[in-house]
Amino acid sequence: MSERRVAVCGGGIFRPDIWRGENAEEGVAIAYRDMLDSMPGFDPFDIDALMMSYFSDHLNQQLCMGWIIQDYLGLHNKPGYRVEAGGSTSLDAIANAYYMIRSGLFDVILVPGWEWMSEVDTATTNMMIASAADTDWDFTVGGYYNAYYASLEVRHMQLYGETCEDLGKIAIKNHNAATHNPYAQWRMEHGKSYITLDDYWKSRLVCWPYRTLNNALISEGAACLLLAAEDRVKRYTDSPMWITGVGLGTDSMRPGDRLADFPFASFRDQAAIYPDFVKRPKTPYPEMANFGSMHVAALRAYAQAGITDPLKEIDIAELFTPYDGVELCFYEDLGFCGRGQGKDVVREGLCEYGGELPVTLSGGLTAQGHPVGATSLYQTIFLYYQLAGKMKKKYGPDALQVKGARKGLLTGHGGTACQGGVIVFERD
Amino acid sequence: MEKKKNNQPAKKSELKKEQTPKKYTNYPSIVDHSSEAQAKWAPWVRQGLWDIKGYRIVKGPAGGGTIDDSKMNLKEFMVIDRSEACLYSHSYGLVSLFFLGLLHGKLKGTKCPKCGTVYCPPRAHCWNPACKVEETKWIDMPLTGIIHTFTVQCLAAAPFEHMLPFSLGWVQVDGADTAICTMLHIPYKDMFIGQKVRMEFKPQKERKGDLMDMYAVAIPGQELPAWAVLQRDKQQLKMLDEATSATSRFIKNRYGLDNSNRGW
Ligand SMILES: [Zn+2]
Repeated sequence: MSERRVAVCGGGIFRPDIWRGENAEEGVAIAYRDMLDSMPGFDPFDIDALMMSYFSDHLNQQLCMGWIIQDYLGLHNKPGYRVEAGGSTSLDAIANAYYMIRSGLFDVILVPGWEWMSEVDTATTNMMIASAADTDWDFTVGGYYNAYYASLEVRHMQLYGETCEDLGKIAIKNHNAATHNPYAQWRMEHGKSYITLDDYWKSRLVCWPYRTLNNALISEGAACLLLAAEDRVKRYTDSPMWITGVGLGTDSMRPGDRLADFPFASFRDQAAIYPDFVKRPKTPYPEMANFGSMHVAALRAYAQAGITDPLKEIDIAELFTPYDGVELCFYEDLGFCGRGQGKDVVREGLCEYGGELPVTLSGGLTAQGHPVGATSLYQTIFLYYQLAGKMKKKYGPDALQVKGARKGLLTGHGGTACQGGVIVFERD
Repeated sequence: MEKKKNNQPAKKSELKKEQTPKKYTNYPSIVDHSSEAQAKWAPWVRQGLWDIKGYRIVKGPAGGGTIDDSKMNLKEFMVIDRSEACLYSHSYGLVSLFFLGLLHGKLKGTKCPKCGTVYCPPRAHCWNPACKVEETKWIDMPLTGIIHTFTVQCLAAAPFEHMLPFSLGWVQVDGADTAICTMLHIPYKDMFIGQKVRMEFKPQKERKGDLMDMYAVAIPGQELPAWAVLQRDKQQLKMLDEATSATSRFIKNRYGLDNSNRGW
């Protein structure tokens, strides 16, 4: 296997919003131009292949949208295909590009990502997204991701004692961070003022314990990312963001089956503080409280990147958290703290701006926006400018720059973490 | 709308032929309720087929850059309304017996003869990697179990909206190693993880052989534990009361249904 390194060399943004007038290929083209503007040394003829990142065919009545995108950019004689894995789509597209370059077969890969999610009404969008759940067994009852994730959170809450206020604090952290992001959908909707716990309690209860402020946005938007091999990087950027670890994981389609989750049977130590008043399932981890696919993905990524204490060693993380309880659980599954201690991370402010490991300063899925195929690309671009120390250049004078950040972490997952991945980035 | 000149009604014999489509020509249908469904939904599918029904002109922010950049760059966009409807004939496969069981008010599971794992929902093949997708055997499940986890919904996807507010949860049926997603006809004030429940069925005439035929009710006489997640925080119970009342009012306005007195 080739030992050469792979870097993210930059990217471009077509900002997410509840509705965008441009159609997908135009949005991607505008994001691509945004990338080209930031990369004077880049020549479109350098591109060896494209990884098209988009999630849904239902939402837009268009199969093979990737072909439209590739030809619209004038890049249609190059190798290219779609990567699709629900919410994990955009992270997996990056991972795939990384594998291809690392293999030595390709040098420069463009990853265009997009999603147009407002062509049908919100209830229909939710219904179509929920069809990524098992349509014979889960979708037929209530049919709504919000409800599935709320049920998972209630289980974790019962076992480990976090409160609704803890979930509110995460919502406030991410929304207030998004007011510093001039591409964030929340800032478009709400403006630049901060919200408080009072605003949180007033926001509509959707599926207990989740309120609207805890939930991912519905968005239309696009982004482009450029990845290149070590010997090609200098042409495009003086601040490459190296990919030093990529870990992927999977779990059952139906969360209810995770009570007898044989591939995770050896993770018993991960549930050491199981309260004795609750019946223990056949396999105690992750059952319906945590996210096993993300745990194994993190272990794999950390092993490659040589990370043993993520909370101390990682400087900034962009987590893919469609619901805020997921962020709290991920603190545990990603090893920022021990099992059941996610609530302490919230209460001690360890993952706030200025804390030990700032998490999701972009605003993330709930405040920056969540056009699925572009979401992890936005978060990667955000990390790129963070590690380059150039936040203010791209995100304006009031952007939140983590000073001296060297190592960044990205997660992405689909379904109820049926599939997920973790990527570690480092700068020179 | 009188345009019959160019659109002559079909002859009776042709019409009859069209109305009785044979979907699985090589295989006999033992029970067939699909013709009723076809008769009801075929016209709806035809009406909803891919077609442009209307348009709007929308003036909105355009272009790249930040929020401020695109707010300064307003453009007119033409937005069309295009429909799409279909009716899927989907097989429940080797676990069809489970859904047939629901029609008869019975709960079925499967058991792996190698490792003994009991599946409810059933799997036709064991997923324990050590068992190498061994075929499972059908067993009858008891109609009792415990709540593994739950949520209270004030919003639902379109097909379930009229039933709001309601609780959904996962029940581990007694003897099963996995949990099944089901509706909980239990007031959230009394609900807790670990609560013993009984599975009940809708009246026979209303059953469709899908999971919504079945729901869980609380087995009476259980003490509500102080550690229960909703008992730890009385403020949340109060907020839930307000939210579910508002939801019931919304449903009454939209559907004319009073869901506030169902007792769950
Ligand atoms: Zn087995």
